[in-house]
Amino acid sequence: MLKESIINELQRIVGKENVLTSPEALKAYSYDGTTSWIHEPDVVVFPTTTQQISDIMKLANKEKIPVTPRGGGTNVSGGSVPWFGGIVLCTTKMNKILKIDKENLTATVEPGVVLQDLTLALAKEGLFFPPDPQSFLGATIGGIIAENAGGPACVKYGVTKQYILGIEAVLPTGEIVNLGGRTLKNVVGYDLLHIFISSEGTLGVITRAELKLNPIPPAKKTTMVVYADVAKAGEGVFRVLENGVIPDKIELLDNWVINRIEEMMPMGLPKDADAVLLFECDGIPEAVDKETEKITEIVKKYGAVDVRVAKDMDEANRYWLARRAGFAAVFGKAKTVFAEDVTVPRGKIPDLINKCKELAKKYNVEIVVLGHAGDGNLHPAILTDITNQEHYGRAVKAMDEIIEEAVALGGVLSGEHGIGLEKQKFLKRQLDPVVIDMMKKIKALFDPNNIMNPGKIWE
Amino acid sequence: MEDLKELKKVEQYADQCMKCGFCSFFCPVYQEERVETSVARGKNYLAKLAIKGEQKFTDELGEIIGKCLLCKRCVVNCPAKTQIDRVVVAARAQMVKNKGLGFIKNFAFRKVMANRKAFGNYVRLAKAFQWLLPKTEGKIRHLPDFLKALGQGRNIPEIAKTFLRDMVKPVYKPQDGKAPKMRVGFFMGCATDFVYPELGLKFIDFMTKRGIEVVVPQEQSCCGAAIYFSGDFETGRMLAEKNIEAFKDVDIIVTACGTCSSTLKDYQKYLPDNPDQEKRYKEFEKKIKDSMEFIIDVMKVNPEELKLKKEFEGKTATWHDPCHLVRYQNIQAQPRAILKGLKGLKYVEMPNADLCCGMGGSFSVYHYDLTKKIAAKKMNGIKATGADIVVTACPGCMINLIDNVLQNKMPQKVYHLLELVE
Repeated sequence: MLKESIINELQRIVGKENVLTSPEALKAYSYDGTTSWIHEPDVVVFPTTTQQISDIMKLANKEKIPVTPRGGGTNVSGGSVPWFGGIVLCTTKMNKILKIDKENLTATVEPGVVLQDLTLALAKEGLFFPPDPQSFLGATIGGIIAENAGGPACVKYGVTKQYILGIEAVLPTGEIVNLGGRTLKNVVGYDLLHIFISSEGTLGVITRAELKLNPIPPAKKTTMVVYADVAKAGEGVFRVLENGVIPDKIELLDNWVINRIEEMMPMGLPKDADAVLLFECDGIPEAVDKETEKITEIVKKYGAVDVRVAKDMDEANRYWLARRAGFAAVFGKAKTVFAEDVTVPRGKIPDLINKCKELAKKYNVEIVVLGHAGDGNLHPAILTDITNQEHYGRAVKAMDEIIEEAVALGGVLSGEHGIGLEKQKFLKRQLDPVVIDMMKKIKALFDPNNIMNPGKIWE
Repeated sequence: MEDLKELKKVEQYADQCMKCGFCSFFCPVYQEERVETSVARGKNYLAKLAIKGEQKFTDELGEIIGKCLLCKRCVVNCPAKTQIDRVVVAARAQMVKNKGLGFIKNFAFRKVMANRKAFGNYVRLAKAFQWLLPKTEGKIRHLPDFLKALGQGRNIPEIAKTFLRDMVKPVYKPQDGKAPKMRVGFFMGCATDFVYPELGLKFIDFMTKRGIEVVVPQEQSCCGAAIYFSGDFETGRMLAEKNIEAFKDVDIIVTACGTCSSTLKDYQKYLPDNPDQEKRYKEFEKKIKDSMEFIIDVMKVNPEELKLKKEFEGKTATWHDPCHLVRYQNIQAQPRAILKGLKGLKYVEMPNADLCCGMGGSFSVYHYDLTKKIAAKKMNGIKATGADIVVTACPGCMINLIDNVLQNKMPQKVYHLLELVE
């Protein structure tokens, strides 16, 4: 519980209507997109200006109150859960697109802008922001930057950090800083901008961002490739790329997921396939046609049993809708789901998939595979039930081994979700003690009183 | 331990939510307030806690679950197919059961609206006070809403001089004197009865012109939307029984009100308290047709053979999807087919045609400011079309659309689709 004087001060800073303290409201800010990380804050504040955020941070720093920044709360790492209570600083009311600059292909936005709102506004100008986390309907730009989010289009376009030119941020001590700038090239001093990106809200609050944009490609084409062996599908991914085609998306769905999607909403996926890959090419129409032909040729050579090029937007949209339904299909079938986001070098995808199959047998648990195969970022999901101790125990062991294997294959334990609370027990598997120590020192430099999203990343 | 019976019935639906938060994008209330308690995910989470006994039935909880339009935009877009409407309605019912309705609602629902005749008299009484209000062309829907909305700057519509119930005969034979092709029961609905009687007469004329016999049982009651969606299941069930009884002699029941048709169909979804009730409500559901689906799907009317009324010739029309048609009943193609088929009328689709108008029954009474903000988005869509007329098929939407068109000083007139045709 915070002192009444602090609540009063917060109300003075952001206005009474922008401070929530009712038990019900606090419960509604105790969770994020994960299933098991729950903790209530003592107060939720909705600042509307950078100066207000600075004032909040100064107050919190003086009183040593934990502050957890939060946008749409769609993250899946526990990152926006206020693990030590205190203040949830919610940016959802700072949701203005300040400028769309067609000349320079940039946009200036507030942190609470929802990605889909941005996408719709940019589309009117013929532009787009390439990073496409699949939580785009609720995810806000501040959170997307803080988590360095990625999505299917990363195969060709890369992740968020490649599209952030600069940010304005408030440090835990209340100072307002500008990192990066508005230019594509910038080598002035240490690249502090990229320390902030993917810092998971532990270094400060992003209050404004300068985004790099692309023109919308005039054509797109979707191809569904059917495999009788999921590992072969994994191979198909890197065969296409090594043979010179870079689609903007390559997504994988395994047999189990295909069948659950078909149960939920029949859309003509091949139910007996062991896996399908969905390719999308984008660019100028002639190139897209050529690339699609080439994909067909390559995948047939490397073990595909069927290739279906979507003949129109309707068919293409149906396939992508199916892909988006994938997670719901998984979550709807189990009380508890470990949705991993291990990422391996693309050539190792078949190895990782085979390992998942082996572990499913070894521990007698359902492990399903879907994900952004194109960038090696798979989402093996383990279906379990936290109330069934014995089963849950086996699932935990299987997850442990998947992460072990991913790291052994030269991959990482998280490709896009972040560490947050969910993956902190694995951090030491990936990073040397000296590296973790450096990170902690950086954290201390930004946040001497450890008030900024405490309890995250490190155990 | 508090009673949890109604909430327990929907536990399976509440459990579907995987907390992805996608609902925030579709929720008209969240889009205005941007606070987690406004959106389905937050409401559902609190309902789940209540089921577990970890959340009491506080006034604040009542406020939170009350602040939902039940527009179902989140439901149709939910990747996990969470039926949040069921959870919200059940939570309201539990709230009412455990805490009771407030005085105004209590009086309005149990004493006035449940008694058709008393409701009629009450509306008349209200009519006497009309001179206090700005004169408009609009019409009002439910009396409690009407009384509460006073002083909020709403354009209060006029109450009909004579109610439909006092004008209609029990049976209308086909106009050509031949044997009827079909026999249907006409469910009037409060708005048509007390505010839009001419729409009811229009309906009867439309049907009897096309060889259909129309029966109008006098014992029919309010559909119960404003009542059971607010959580008063007890009165809701009573009305359900009254209507089932009133229409026991017909196989098809048609109404020109989108909210009524969906409400009558959905007794089986929200209200059953035992298997017998469920069976009766399900049987009743099979009889219900909204006028839009009845005209296109049952009568098989060819829209191109319908005749546009002279006053609409050369006009441009746009269609507003009532929530209770587009999402509760998936009725969206039928009205568009009619509008596009009508010769002499130009049809333009508005952006976000399926966006809730912001009415949400009693929602607009308790949260009139929010209603206006949500309606403003609808108005922007209408403005973008440059249409002369806004057409819909729900008198509830019509009231709110008229109010907001007038407040925004827009030139558009609002009509029920049936009013356009001869």
